[in-house]
Amino acid sequence: MKKRDVIGQYKLPLEVKYCKKCTISNQRPRITFDENGVCSACNFAEYKQTKIDWKQREEELIALCNKYRKNNGEYDVIVPCSGGKDGSFVAHQLKYKYGMNPLTVTWAPLKATEIGRRNLDAFIQSGFDNILGTPNGKVTRQLTHLAFKHLGDPFQPFIYGQTNFPLHMAIKYNVSLIMYGENGEVEYGGDMKNAFRPDRDIQDHDKHYFSGFPPSFWAEHGISEADLKPFMAPAYKDIVANNTQIHFFGYYKFWDPQENFYYCTEHTGFTPNTERSEGTYSKYASLDDRIDGYHYYLGFIKFGIGRTTSDAAHEIRDGKITREEGIALIKRYDGEFPKKHFQEFLDYCSITEEEFNEVVDSWRSDHLWEKVNGEWQLKHAIWKE
Amino acid sequence: MRKIRLIGRLDIKGPNLIKGIHLEGLRVIGSPSEYSLRYYNEGIDELIYMDCVASLYGRNSLGEMVKNVAQNVFVPLTVGGGIRSVEDATHLLRCGADKVAINTAAVANPNLITEVAKKFGSQCMVLSIEAKQIAPGRWEAYTDNGREKTGLDVVEWVKKGVALGAGEILLTSVDQEGTQKGFDVDLIKAITSEISVPVIASGGMGKPEDLVSAVKVGEADAIAMAHILHYNKFSLQEIRKVAKRAGIDVREL
Amino acid sequence: MMIPEATIIDYGIGNLLSVSRALEHCGAKVTITDNPEIILSSTRVVLPGVGAFGNGMKELENRGLDKVIKQYASSGKNLIGICLGMQLLFDSSEEFGATRGLSLIPGKVIQIPDKTLNGESLKIPHIGWNGLFGPNENSTQWNEKILATVLPGESAYFVHSFMANPINEEDVKAVCFYGGNKVTALVGKGNIVGCQFHPEKSGEVGIKILKQFLLN
Repeated sequence: MKKRDVIGQYKLPLEVKYCKKCTISNQRPRITFDENGVCSACNFAEYKQTKIDWKQREEELIALCNKYRKNNGEYDVIVPCSGGKDGSFVAHQLKYKYGMNPLTVTWAPLKATEIGRRNLDAFIQSGFDNILGTPNGKVTRQLTHLAFKHLGDPFQPFIYGQTNFPLHMAIKYNVSLIMYGENGEVEYGGDMKNAFRPDRDIQDHDKHYFSGFPPSFWAEHGISEADLKPFMAPAYKDIVANNTQIHFFGYYKFWDPQENFYYCTEHTGFTPNTERSEGTYSKYASLDDRIDGYHYYLGFIKFGIGRTTSDAAHEIRDGKITREEGIALIKRYDGEFPKKHFQEFLDYCSITEEEFNEVVDSWRSDHLWEKVNGEWQLKHAIWKE
Repeated sequence: MRKIRLIGRLDIKGPNLIKGIHLEGLRVIGSPSEYSLRYYNEGIDELIYMDCVASLYGRNSLGEMVKNVAQNVFVPLTVGGGIRSVEDATHLLRCGADKVAINTAAVANPNLITEVAKKFGSQCMVLSIEAKQIAPGRWEAYTDNGREKTGLDVVEWVKKGVALGAGEILLTSVDQEGTQKGFDVDLIKAITSEISVPVIASGGMGKPEDLVSAVKVGEADAIAMAHILHYNKFSLQEIRKVAKRAGIDVREL
Repeated sequence: MMIPEATIIDYGIGNLLSVSRALEHCGAKVTITDNPEIILSSTRVVLPGVGAFGNGMKELENRGLDKVIKQYASSGKNLIGICLGMQLLFDSSEEFGATRGLSLIPGKVIQIPDKTLNGESLKIPHIGWNGLFGPNENSTQWNEKILATVLPGESAYFVHSFMANPINEEDVKAVCFYGGNKVTALVGKGNIVGCQFHPEKSGEVGIKILKQFLLN
């Protein structure tokens, strides 16, 4: 299989550098480092911790809620959630603290885990309306297969669907306001242009979340327009006519995912997993899909950034662990192959292990990987620096 | 008859007292020495200091902290977390610990239990267990702050540990800890009915009454309390009162 | 008022820091040493100890301290043995086979019974808080100065698998009850006192006892 041009496709710098404060590297697409070698996410974290008047931000939230609250039994805000700690936190705050009437919307995981389903149920039982959108299973599998083969990320179709489902629901229920948790680009190091505003433009979806294949590509592979529709955004004119606004709760409230975890164990029946997720040390993050391990694993192959690196990076910024502790965890867990559901994944995507390895290896850029004694190793692992 | 001990359990990370749920989360509560002193003055019977992330991060660093707390707290102190060798144990005991608690290293090398017991006496060697239920009546032992499965059946492992020289068991329920929903009494009973060394029940105490079933049904010899004390839900006095009312013999103050 | 002094014997084992801190808390100036001259010239000596009897005796003998302690004891100055330190004061112990002790108090160190008086099994080691009582049913007060400020029934912290069995009843100054069995808690013979429990770990009760030790 032809080697991919990872550098060209993702515009990655040739020389690998690590942030001086956290564990993320400059290989994360769209991240920037300042002249002191500190990444944009860390700089934003410092700004967040020292310069923001959170009282003022809360007032803005209250004003926003006052503007959109309907008080007539109809939903007035869409909260995308999975039953995990972040969406549940947002929904609970909006409903029980700020008096809104949220409709929580969940895009079905490819293969739901027991703990994920349990947490979603517990969340609903704690007092929320929820709509679960489950796309055509057969189509989803085909798309996952194609995305894995052509994009090197089996999760892309899921991400399409998950991103666009709230837009569909917003239009269907005449709800203008969609409230996400955090702006991932801003919190985790990406496009910083929305760092100082509470919302983002709707067109931006295409820039960040869709890796560039048009519908015609899918049609070539037997996926019709009707098949794709649930995954695609609604017509732009309908989005506009609905006066759809996407806001981030992380703008209005200090965003701390670990605190969300504690909050949700108390208020929405959230329980962490009893064992850590493969590829990381965390027991409370991203628990709901048996297949998402392969998304993170491919991220590790493409960018040298595994699940542990990302989890550690934000916990360092949030002051939960030190950089040294993060590095110890990365050395131990990053890039761990998710073998628990491997056969299931192969079956789901209708591929063989050889095909899987071929695809994976095609994404191993020479600037990151080398073979030592027959084993693939990162040239510039953080613990080697 | 010896009395049921009321023990304060402090999970330590770096310089801080922290409290997690199901052994996840690193929320900082405050200064360990401040909390230790407060519990001592309120009449705690014993203290446990666990560096809960030591094995996970591959380090251990409680020596200084132990020296500090030994300054003005005159009740027994058990210290655990990242103890990997007899030297590690010796260091902590010389810093002021009375007992050492070992989990991860003991699973990796069970002979360590015997080595520590031989040098310091089995009463010094506390085998620490993180137990997660896998089927009715069956639990699996975890290590590294509840992150790694061992495949070991908890009851069998505890029996082996005692045979190797462990003089006390610190039994933490991964399912219950941090939840304040009560102890895993079945787990406690499963262990106490198989061995004859003291068992400290840990994980899940939400209200004083919880200790009654842990002692009367589970037959625990001691109760470790964390959340209930750190978040000031109930005072030690109240807890002692509830125990006495239930006919449990606890230290008089 | 003069600052009381205390010398703790360092023979490589035992929780010296806790004993030292507790004595300092009581106002003493504490020296920790294995130097025979310093020990012999001290006004008050503490023999601590945790762990196995055989190991304890070996460590003392390796440093020649067994002879030093015996010489010190014969001077009539105050000596207190704590936990293993108390057990070492006796003639011998059953632990891990028979081992010779310091023979400062006649008697043997034997295993704590592993059954209650009713025949139920009893957990060994004896770990935890247990009430201190006079050795006889009828005793209403202690026959030992060091316990002057302690009330019968107050608890101290025990952690041991073996217990002292003095030959002379009058050497037993306090007992505790474990499974109904009488367990020697405190012994005294002339200038020598032995605590099976850990006064440095027995909260305020232990502090009271140490303060009394420093007064004598």
